[in-house]
Amino acid sequence: MIEFQNVSFSYDGTAPVVENLSFSISKGESVGLIGANGAGKSTIMKLLLGLLSGQGQIWVAGLEMNKQNLPKIRQTVGFVLQDSDNQMFMPTVYEDMIFGPRNYGLTKEQAEQRVDDVLNRLGLTELKHRYNHKISGGEKRMAAIATILAMEPEVILMDEPSTALDPVNRRTVINTINTLPQTKLIASHDLDMILDTCGRVILLSHGKIVADGSAESILRDRVLLEANRMELPFCLQGRHK
Amino acid sequence: MDKLSHAQSELREMDALAAECSPIHALHPLCKLLVTVFYIAVTVSFPKYNFSGLVMMVLYPVIAFQVSGIPVGLCFYKLRLVLPLVCAVGLANPFLDHTPLLQLGTITVTGGVVSMVTLMLKGVFSLMASFLLIATTSIDAICAALRKLHVPGILTTLLLLTYRYIGVMLEEVTVMTEAYSLRAPGQKGIHISAWGSFLGQLLMRSMDRAEELYSSMVLRGFNGNFFYADISPFCLNDLLYTAVCAAAFLCARIFDIPGLLGSFFVG
Amino acid sequence: MHMADALLAPAVAATMYAASAVTVGASVKTLRKDETTAKLPTMAVTSALVFAGQMINYTIPGTGSSGHLCGGMMLSALLGPQAGFLSMVVILTIQALFFADGGLLALGANCWNMAFYGCFVGYYLLWRPLIRSKLFSSLGEKAAGRIRIILASVLGCVITLQLGAFSVVLETSLSGVTELPFRAFVGIMQPIHLAIGLVEGLITSAVLLFIYETRPELLMDVNKADTQLSGKLSLKTTLAILAVTAVIVGGGLSLFASANPDGLEWSMFGNAESGYSENMGLDEESFGISSGAADTAAAIQERTAFLPDYGFADSDMAAGTSVSGLVGSAIVAGAAAAICMAGGFFRKKKVAAKA
Repeated sequence: MIEFQNVSFSYDGTAPVVENLSFSISKGESVGLIGANGAGKSTIMKLLLGLLSGQGQIWVAGLEMNKQNLPKIRQTVGFVLQDSDNQMFMPTVYEDMIFGPRNYGLTKEQAEQRVDDVLNRLGLTELKHRYNHKISGGEKRMAAIATILAMEPEVILMDEPSTALDPVNRRTVINTINTLPQTKLIASHDLDMILDTCGRVILLSHGKIVADGSAESILRDRVLLEANRMELPFCLQGRHK
Repeated sequence: MDKLSHAQSELREMDALAAECSPIHALHPLCKLLVTVFYIAVTVSFPKYNFSGLVMMVLYPVIAFQVSGIPVGLCFYKLRLVLPLVCAVGLANPFLDHTPLLQLGTITVTGGVVSMVTLMLKGVFSLMASFLLIATTSIDAICAALRKLHVPGILTTLLLLTYRYIGVMLEEVTVMTEAYSLRAPGQKGIHISAWGSFLGQLLMRSMDRAEELYSSMVLRGFNGNFFYADISPFCLNDLLYTAVCAAAFLCARIFDIPGLLGSFFVG
Repeated sequence: MHMADALLAPAVAATMYAASAVTVGASVKTLRKDETTAKLPTMAVTSALVFAGQMINYTIPGTGSSGHLCGGMMLSALLGPQAGFLSMVVILTIQALFFADGGLLALGANCWNMAFYGCFVGYYLLWRPLIRSKLFSSLGEKAAGRIRIILASVLGCVITLQLGAFSVVLETSLSGVTELPFRAFVGIMQPIHLAIGLVEGLITSAVLLFIYETRPELLMDVNKADTQLSGKLSLKTTLAILAVTAVIVGGGLSLFASANPDGLEWSMFGNAESGYSENMGLDEESFGISSGAADTAAAIQERTAFLPDYGFADSDMAAGTSVSGLVGSAIVAGAAAAICMAGGFFRKKKVAAKA
């Protein structure tokens, strides 16, 4: 579904942010992207969305990343931003949700149908006509996910989906993520959430892949994590008396 | 920084009022917008000595406030911004215009006093009318009405986007001023040494935010089009309301109804 | 300086609406569509920030009161005049709708008084010529850039506020709601706005300087001096601009110095003014900026002036005072010209030395 081949990227004149990256993610996989601040997580996401372009080849859903394919790729990939305020710019949740589908050519009725479907599935029907500036942080995050789902993407990228949420809202988001059948790539420092949502983990350090394997094995490897400015997920730290 | 929290609560308040239900709320936004603008135009068009005629105009806001259930008190709080300039201009009139207009016992009412009072009334009335508009109409409905009036789409979209982010920005500014004042006790405002960096930092963060916002648009296929929810069509009620209001305002403007009433009683 | 509905006759309000509408139309047309869509988020977020930023209190050193930002000049320096104008229009609309600052009928006038002057006049007359000019480049590129930004912001804010205040007077007088003689009204409005403009100019320049130091690419025209438009602004034009500015500032300052124009019952205005200044964006609790600034300005003049009493013996009117203000301005303009000539002379010498 996603393939990176020898991808490098640097802001002009500076040291590369990601260097010679190669990995592939198959359909339906749920992959956690972890690493210290500045390890290159966001850059990978932006490369995958065509917001940045570097050297090497990137394939998404069988399409090579280039100018012609970009609109198609962006239709295939949904990106849930870290700050939902930046994602939800229209007055109401409904208007935000039809923004993508309408821009990709759906009629008003088709878009409306999608909105209702997604909201029903997520149990958020009462949010439909609420104002984006008046809903709570937890509702906003769920609405942002709904906005992306309304585009029916095959791949979903999420940047820190669990930050700044209270425990109940965080759990709701985790449960929602687990019900999504799409291919998922989740960048986060919340390793407990990664453990709960991802089968596979890619650990980055200084723009390179340090480890790539099952979440169980990597997230239990205290030595590996600590060597890369991470620590064990809290649920595995076993703080007994 | 009281102003920031005031602004936030004022915005919340207006949002809450606009979300209520009443016959006035249910009217088409375009009809409310037109009636309001027409009302204000008629109100300010009264000649400066025509006090009695102007008084007639109080009826529209009073009735509309009652029908819509909007508390009148709230709007007087907003007078604090408009009234100073109006007063500054109006207060000079009694000193400069000594034309005697009316003899009340031993007191002579001069033209200056009358024109001062009518000026202030005009200020109060126009404020009441515009407050009523926004208290019964949401900003997106107003923008829909503006689009119907062929206001450029860029402007209405910008209005909605800006309104959307005002809350976010007020929050950011509040957080930063709080952080500032916690480390600078006793200072009333921002010290000159931080004049540039304070807003500058916020500005640069906003630029990053704008960039993210733009990618969020582009990633969802943005090519210059925005799609809004439909508003209900202009129906008979709206037409009737507009016509009745317009006719009433014109009558009040042409005939000095309070004067006629008065002369009927005084003889 | 938000105009109120009550101060406008419908015909004046309609005229101002038409003028502003035409400017909006022209701005929308000038901004190419693709450019606008890319700029839209930035415009929205910056206008929201300017809106919120207007509520920040900036302590004015030595006065105990505070100044505020209005934003027209800053927005056009960041977004360009057209986008800046549209952003200001949006800010003013939201203020009129939600905060009753200004009014629905007065919106057209307010857009003209605050947004048009601040964005278009401020940008085309001051910001762009000054920033793209080679003024002060003898001081080194970075320092020259700083001085140009300060100069453009302060002059821009002062001049555009003077124009705005003048328009308020003009519109009010044309509407026939006040008995105040036009000249007396002008005599009150201009000095108050001189002080406000100075403070706003300083705040604006502080913010823009910060941007200049950290992310200069965000500012319009910066670093463009050497490229496409170099030499477009001759020394003559620059001098002309500076001279006009000096005359306006000088004229205003001296009006200001004559704090109490006699002959009319002005004393009441001392009170009315304070309420008004609050509306203007000066601090509610501690009005006093204009008086503080007035004292300072008067003191400076007292020390440096050679025309006694800044007025002709037989005239007590503010206008009489401003003649001396004009003379003072001419001297300032002369000095500015001399400085520029000197700068140009040294620059030429430098170029010659390099060659």
